[in-house]
Amino acid sequence: MTRVKLPPWLVLLLPAFIIIAAVVLVPLLLSLYSSFTPYHLTRPDTLWKVNFPFNYQKALTDANFWAAFGRTVLLLTVALNLEMLLGLGLALMVSKVTQGQRLLRTAMMFPMMFSPILVGFQFKFIFNDNVGLVNNALQSLGLADRAIPWLVDGNLALFAIICAEVWTSTSVFAILILAGLYAIPQDPLEAAKVDGCSPWQSFRFVTLPFLMPFIYIAMAIRSLDVARAYDIVQVMTNGGPARRTELLWTLIGRTGYVDARMGYANAMGYVAILLSIAFTVYFFLKLQRARRDLGMGD
Amino acid sequence: MASVTRHRLNKRLLRAGHLIGLFVAMTVICLPGLWVVLNSFRPTVEIMAKPPVWIPNDLNLDHYRAMFGGAGEGGVPVWTYFRNSLIVSVTSTLIALLVGMAGGYAFARCRFKRKSTAFVVLMASRAVPGVALSLPLFIIFGRTGIIDTHFGLILVYVAMNVPFTIWLIDGFFRQVPRELAEAAEIDGCTRWQAFWKVEFPVARAGIASAGIFAFLTSWNEYALASQLTRSVTSKTMPVGLLDFTSQFTLNWGGMCALAVLMILPALVLTFIVQKHLIAGLTFGGVKG
Amino acid sequence: MAQVHLRNVVKRYGALDVVHSISLDIADGEFVVLVGPSGCGKSTTLRMVAGLEEISDGQVVIGDRVVNDLPPRDRNISMVFQNYALYPHMTVRENLGFSLKIARRPQAQIDAAVDEAAAILALTPLLDRKPGALSGGQRQRVAMGRAIVRHPDVFLFDEPLSNLDAKLRTQMRVEIKKLHQKVGSTVIYVTHDQVEAMTLADRIVIMRDGHIVQVGTPLEVFEDPANSFVATFIGSPPMNLLPGTVQGGRVVLADGTAVPVPPGLHVADGRRVHLGIRADNIMPEGHSLPPTAHMAHVDMPVTLTEPLGTETLLFATLAGAEVQAKMLNPRPVTPGERLRFGIALDKCHLFDADSGVSLRM
Repeated sequence: MTRVKLPPWLVLLLPAFIIIAAVVLVPLLLSLYSSFTPYHLTRPDTLWKVNFPFNYQKALTDANFWAAFGRTVLLLTVALNLEMLLGLGLALMVSKVTQGQRLLRTAMMFPMMFSPILVGFQFKFIFNDNVGLVNNALQSLGLADRAIPWLVDGNLALFAIICAEVWTSTSVFAILILAGLYAIPQDPLEAAKVDGCSPWQSFRFVTLPFLMPFIYIAMAIRSLDVARAYDIVQVMTNGGPARRTELLWTLIGRTGYVDARMGYANAMGYVAILLSIAFTVYFFLKLQRARRDLGMGD
Repeated sequence: MASVTRHRLNKRLLRAGHLIGLFVAMTVICLPGLWVVLNSFRPTVEIMAKPPVWIPNDLNLDHYRAMFGGAGEGGVPVWTYFRNSLIVSVTSTLIALLVGMAGGYAFARCRFKRKSTAFVVLMASRAVPGVALSLPLFIIFGRTGIIDTHFGLILVYVAMNVPFTIWLIDGFFRQVPRELAEAAEIDGCTRWQAFWKVEFPVARAGIASAGIFAFLTSWNEYALASQLTRSVTSKTMPVGLLDFTSQFTLNWGGMCALAVLMILPALVLTFIVQKHLIAGLTFGGVKG
Repeated sequence: MAQVHLRNVVKRYGALDVVHSISLDIADGEFVVLVGPSGCGKSTTLRMVAGLEEISDGQVVIGDRVVNDLPPRDRNISMVFQNYALYPHMTVRENLGFSLKIARRPQAQIDAAVDEAAAILALTPLLDRKPGALSGGQRQRVAMGRAIVRHPDVFLFDEPLSNLDAKLRTQMRVEIKKLHQKVGSTVIYVTHDQVEAMTLADRIVIMRDGHIVQVGTPLEVFEDPANSFVATFIGSPPMNLLPGTVQGGRVVLADGTAVPVPPGLHVADGRRVHLGIRADNIMPEGHSLPPTAHMAHVDMPVTLTEPLGTETLLFATLAGAEVQAKMLNPRPVTPGERLRFGIALDKCHLFDADSGVSLRM
């Protein structure tokens, strides 16, 4: 009868941990190992040659890798900040509307239900230099006399990618910030008004601090799947033209599947994974601190 | 007096700015989607016309007919893809919900050490980029023979959805007062009965919306599916979208038609859950 | 047949004891109120009786069974929660009948029990509503109805009235008392409100920091507080405590004012004490009860008045401390006015200045 009794929380969490260990942890260990080998898909025996720092040295001295790394960080920084600001603006505008707010809120969620791959195609279409919506509009309005090569020029292509990324993800911010705006208690705002705050001041010193946890929630959620941008980029430019929109993720995909150099791809993958995780953990810790500051913690 | 008029003028300007801003924002949000829907009804010639045709003058169902016609234009087996997507998404969602319910309940109700660490670790597992994860999964699935099967994809999607499902469900269970289960226990329930008869029904709407969210994630996922499915037997719709592309050309109209087929269920489901979804995220996140 | 006995019951969270070895015997049909400031362990004690908290040490006995290891459902108790804990997805009828349904009683029996409870609590017209559509007072009654439907051995109440407004609280207090008289079960009632404790209890158990400080009938704890904590906690306004030193049969206060030691008390010279006087026992001359055999007199400036209608509460200063006194047949008093107050010494208390223990005991 002396059965070992596991605490209930462990029993409840065990299925989750087992499945995540099986599908995420074990493969990650494998990829960690294979990143130490010159594993090539077409030559399975290469999996058994351990050559520890080789792939990492190669990656760290590869200009293409660093370019992709820098571009990824740049894209994320620009896109996330832009999404946050636009989302905040959108939420503020929608919260001020008195009629038809439900409709606006639903419309706001529209981009969230698009598969990223679909967004990629959609924006590839929209930014197509020949028949795309943007060029057609610009030319019809007489704002441009020649077709603008959106996806052919490196900088313009990055801009187009950011547009697509911002389009899909702004609504995450907008919706959560809107939820925050609804939850703001009115008393402090009224107190600020009585204390003589201008609208800007009461936004800056009352509304915004209260919204911060909501912004962090949105950031945390976004950080969970920033790599969804891979789908978009893969479809829109696939890292081209001439690697000028290459991100870490497209670089990994190409090295692994097209060049079949799995070991090297996994080594670079690890860098991408650590980047993502660092990013996620950072925002979750921020979120927990913000909660505590507002006295909403455990 | 002058300041009053100026104040009034300012107010009016602000209102106008607000309306214009809102209009522009909503246009930008809705237009790309509507453009896709519109193009799915237009013949390819018109889509590709130069100079552009702004006002559609020939709307028809040709792309849909071709798509469902099986071996017609492009010959994309849309129904098979649709069925694959449905099987994979529904099954993985149901499993993720069960696992997520257990986990979410643990986070909402149990006290244990390093709770927030466990939470962040779970979430971090979700943050692993699909491409990076697909490399080792590709190798393992290839070796174990579950590559290009529904089972393999379901397994991956369950693991992918569990962290987020736990987060959401944790939030919903937190909204259910602890006393409800205690009252049920005093009323004669076992812990198990108290959960199924009281806590679960009260949190039901929230759990359903967590399920829909998981469903949408699986439904729309591409990075992993594109590597772990190879043939018609297991390809899902996002992967099938690529069937409309060839080396140099893109069948825009056909692609738009498939896109509409993909969006419709997502649209309906999102519409149903929008309220609960926000509540779940914010409760779980802020009051956590 | 449901006495409740707590035998050296301890609740421990890690290294922290929140309930220190409590013992208490509750007779069948008795109405016992656990009262104390928040964090005193009263709710934890109740929850241990309910089976919602594990008992770290000691025994809880209900009837003649040790229930330490029994889950709540096997203890034949019912409980009313502070925020009612009504099942929001069930109608009032389903809420009331839930426990019987779980026990698989026949439907006819459930209906009869629900109707009976609804009639007692005037819930009959509300039976088909959901809790969300009820007012606070109605929810409170449903919660009580849910408790009585089971005919439990013991009723547990966890601050059931604290979410109601003052008027409703008074009303529900009366209803609870009537209910107890009608049903006759043992009741353990937790509250932080001493008025509720005084009005409802057969016996009051006053707790502080996880210890039982005093057990007694309402009048016992009011008239003979075991220490200065009970003295200030029970009764409104709280008893005035004036620090002083005993010298030659008198208590000398900080400014030299001397008041005779209350009759019947023998305290050694030099002992530092607190003189405890309730507002009812210190009244201005001409506005007081008839003097008793042992009276003392002091002059105090009045700083503030609170007219209550039939009497006025006076705030005055004596030896640097604030004193609350009552004025019967009140007349207007201007702040700063000096009045002569009579103290009924035989109703006064002395407490040790360090331990707070009553010297009357």
